[in-house]
Amino acid sequence: MKKTSILKNKTLVIGCGSLGATIANKCSQEGKNIMVVDTDAKSFERLSDRFSGYTFVGDVTDLSTLEEAYITTAKEIIITTGDDNTNLFVAHIARVIYNVPQIYVRLSDPDSEILLKGMDIKSIFPLELSFDKFNLMRGGRK
Amino acid sequence: MKIVIAGGSNTADYIIKNFKGHSHQLTIINFDREAANYLAKSSKLPVFYGDPTKPYCLKDAHIEGSDIFIALGNRDCDNYVSCLLAKKIFNVKKCICIVSNPKNVEVFKRLGIDSVISSTEQLVQSILSESSLESFIKTMSLEDEKIVLTEIIIKSTYYIAHKHIMDINFPKTGSIACIYRRPRVIIPNGSTLILPKDKLIVLSTPNDQKDIISFVQRDKK
Repeated sequence: MKKTSILKNKTLVIGCGSLGATIANKCSQEGKNIMVVDTDAKSFERLSDRFSGYTFVGDVTDLSTLEEAYITTAKEIIITTGDDNTNLFVAHIARVIYNVPQIYVRLSDPDSEILLKGMDIKSIFPLELSFDKFNLMRGGRK
Repeated sequence: MKIVIAGGSNTADYIIKNFKGHSHQLTIINFDREAANYLAKSSKLPVFYGDPTKPYCLKDAHIEGSDIFIALGNRDCDNYVSCLLAKKIFNVKKCICIVSNPKNVEVFKRLGIDSVISSTEQLVQSILSESSLESFIKTMSLEDEKIVLTEIIIKSTYYIAHKHIMDINFPKTGSIACIYRRPRVIIPNGSTLILPKDKLIVLSTPNDQKDIISFVQRDKK
């Protein structure tokens, strides 16, 4: 793990699964300041060899982890852990407590969207995206 | 009252036993097969098997408009989501949530959960109040440790004994709420005389408590 330093205008990626790692690699290529957080150090193996951002191991449902990952100076946070409830919790913390300018969250259950109402949090639903794509490929109307 | 108990096994069992029969209507939801079976067996009440963090499960369990929702799950973020759903979507009047990480008490409150309980924090608080009991000081906290009531018994050697309250220049950060002088309770004003063996009940914030105790216990010069 690389030594952390105070980063300004940083992109914070929570969860280094396939989506988190892909976003992190892309941002790193674009030369953005990036920090990836995951509970498991092994998941950082998904990052490419040329990844030049920071990684941090810790439990993201603990405020001190988020603060150690410099959430206070983040300009955007992308939350992609495999657990919807963790994602919702972190998204709400990012909005209510730290007021991160841009918040993106991946949720597998479309029903969860009701908890994001009026919070200015952008949500990604893989299920809906796959369904739309399927409809598009079949040539049907959306 | 309509009470919903989500998650937990032993804690849930204990709570159910306490509420059962007091004309309360209990709804028990559990997402653990074993725990659900155990609760059904011990409480002899129907247990709803489902995930309390999913809106459709809470809907099926008919929790709409309940009076109290108690989340006893093992994971803090699960309890958070189920409480939020109960409050925002199902209009439950009061939500009580258990957290395992004591740091989350403040976080949950800021995020809008009414009542948050951390067993670790409670344990620390009772150890602290037990240990201050040793020095003859009893402490009681109100409003989630934001206000404390301190009980101090006056000894004849204290500087403030046999003095009027207006003459002792009592710290502005605290207030003598009442004086217990067996068998009477006195609501003090400036002209009240403090006597040995009086029991002073002092109201202050936890930060100022130490200063006030040392002020009261100051010996005669």
